Amino acid sequence: MILEGLLARAVQMSTPLLLGALGEVMVERTGVMNMAIEGIFLLGAWAGFTGAYITGSLSAGFLCAMAAGVVVGVLYGWITVFLKQHQIVTGVALNILAAGIGIFFYRVLFGVPLLPLTVEPLRPLAVPFLSAIPVLGPALFRQNILTYLAWGAMPLGWWVLFRTRAGLVLRSTGANPEAVDAAGISVERVRFGAVLAASALSGLAGAFYSIGYLGLFSNDMIGGRGWIAFALCFLGNWNPLGALLGAVVFGIADAAAITLQTSGIRMVPNEFLIALPYILTIAATLARKRFNVPASLGTAYTKEEK
Amino acid sequence: MTAEKHGGNSLSESLTDPDGILSSLFFSSLSVFLGLASAGVLMLFLGHSPAAVYRDLFSFAFRDVYNIADIFAKAAPLILTGLAFAFAFRAGLFNIGAQGQFYLGAVTSAACALSFPFLPSWLLLPLCAAASMAAGGLWGGMTGYFKARFNANEFLVSMMSTYVAVAIMDFLVRSPLREAKGEYPQTDVLAEASWIPSFLSGTRFHWGFFLALAAAGAAWVLLWKTTLGFRMRAVGKNRSAARFAGIREKNVFVSVFLVSGAFAGLAGFLEVNGVQHMVVQGFNPLLGAEGIGIAVLGGAHPLGVVLSALLFGALKVGGLLVTQTSSVPSSIIAILEGFVMLYVILSFYLRHRLRRACARRRAAAGGEAP
Repeated sequence: MILEGLLARAVQMSTPLLLGALGEVMVERTGVMNMAIEGIFLLGAWAGFTGAYITGSLSAGFLCAMAAGVVVGVLYGWITVFLKQHQIVTGVALNILAAGIGIFFYRVLFGVPLLPLTVEPLRPLAVPFLSAIPVLGPALFRQNILTYLAWGAMPLGWWVLFRTRAGLVLRSTGANPEAVDAAGISVERVRFGAVLAASALSGLAGAFYSIGYLGLFSNDMIGGRGWIAFALCFLGNWNPLGALLGAVVFGIADAAAITLQTSGIRMVPNEFLIALPYILTIAATLARKRFNVPASLGTAYTKEEK
Repeated sequence: MTAEKHGGNSLSESLTDPDGILSSLFFSSLSVFLGLASAGVLMLFLGHSPAAVYRDLFSFAFRDVYNIADIFAKAAPLILTGLAFAFAFRAGLFNIGAQGQFYLGAVTSAACALSFPFLPSWLLLPLCAAASMAAGGLWGGMTGYFKARFNANEFLVSMMSTYVAVAIMDFLVRSPLREAKGEYPQTDVLAEASWIPSFLSGTRFHWGFFLALAAAGAAWVLLWKTTLGFRMRAVGKNRSAARFAGIREKNVFVSVFLVSGAFAGLAGFLEVNGVQHMVVQGFNPLLGAEGIGIAVLGGAHPLGVVLSALLFGALKVGGLLVTQTSSVPSSIIAILEGFVMLYVILSFYLRHRLRRACARRRAAAGGEAP
């Protein structure tokens, strides 16, 4: 019973990490790190909640979250790709700003409610027959629609990246921008487009926390989960399937922490469980020896000047 | 891992190679002004007149001696977290974990004061200061060590280690260091012998501010007057050239993070022994992020950091009073900081373009001359 709940929760909690990590893999393959990911998660959570609360439709909420992600992505992409400014510093600025804006407009729209405002979160959809399999059935086949989509998107992302022409362009832009430029493809446009797509996915990921799972918005609901998705990208060696593996491990850690905290078993301090995913990230960063870093990651591309 | 390639970006160029103090001052002031204006636009959504809010903000900040003194009290820890980021940035490294180093410094300083309340002030204060610097320095040094030993991404490790530090602090104030009453997650009030004496009696302006100034001076000396500083800046400018020059970059990584973490840890001593006189769970949660903004606004130069920290201190004192006396939410302060940082980054682009245009004009003029 406990195992079943744990597995189901692990699969569920890996959803936003998958979406965020997939976007990050795509954008980093073109040579840009999306350093605004944490802020986009929080703004996505806010926009998703706001959209869903006002329209009463969860789909509208998810669309709002993606749009909010794209807005931050436009700013981030413009400054880092076209103006060629520093990715880490720009990301830090946008993270502070995006978080502030989400919290500010929650207050503008809803004031200070006595009880947190809620919406009905996504409902699980059981797959007929398969969900009746003991233990694994409920874990894998009684999830909400976003979880199925996120899991399906990973192999799809792998296929696009490694088996299609578009994927080849993405990877070449990160590995050898000069060659892409020589082939007549605009490096800046490819990178900017990838930033927008990754930002949309991260916005969606953020909305999972607010309307896919809890049904409310709070200022501290992301708490570094965006950075964990960011870390999964390189722990998974810039490969969607590698990121999938990592997300499952983190999903289990997250789920174990929640399960142990609510079960009343006190073997270790709660704080240790809360810190576990972050400790795991550091440990995994250290354990990873060989990396397949995109050659131009983090550097702006400037055509040779006449 | 990735930071290695940042050397040639125009931001690090402008951030560490300013074209004259006057131009830096002009563009920093412009960024602050535009930041205030943008945050002002958002206030319109709440039906507030930005002009009135800012008038209140600055008149609150400079209303009386108490508030003016408070600016210095607020600026002191900001100088230190700003230095923490700026110092590492000079070596091309990113210490994003100042918040965690600050928390561990704070909790260690408090533990020290609570364990030795019988010691005289002249012994207890240096002890607390040293303990906070050691705690912050070791926690930061861990990131540097991981980078040197495992080639780990220092950005990610320092970021993640902050969440671990928060958990450690939460555990300590919930359990071993919890107040005798056991009511709230906070420590008892520290013995008066461990309080930093105030500079202006009746205000929160304490001698710690001058300790922060001394730290800024020490950072300047370290960066420009010592071999370590030379090596750091060499590694920051061009890592492979530094390697060819025989500089052992791994030692630089560890030393930089030790010093950088010690700055942030010392901020913990200032806040706990100078202002709060106890540790409350989750206090000052934005000190680390604000330090990054201050370092960027101050051009990663110790003097710039001190001036920016004073400005942020004034914004905090005035901003806090505005948010307490009106319906403007406190998140406006974070928004203001975010906008100011964005405009600083944009101004670097502008300055880069201006420099290039000047150089081209000069080249053209030189070509026409016989």
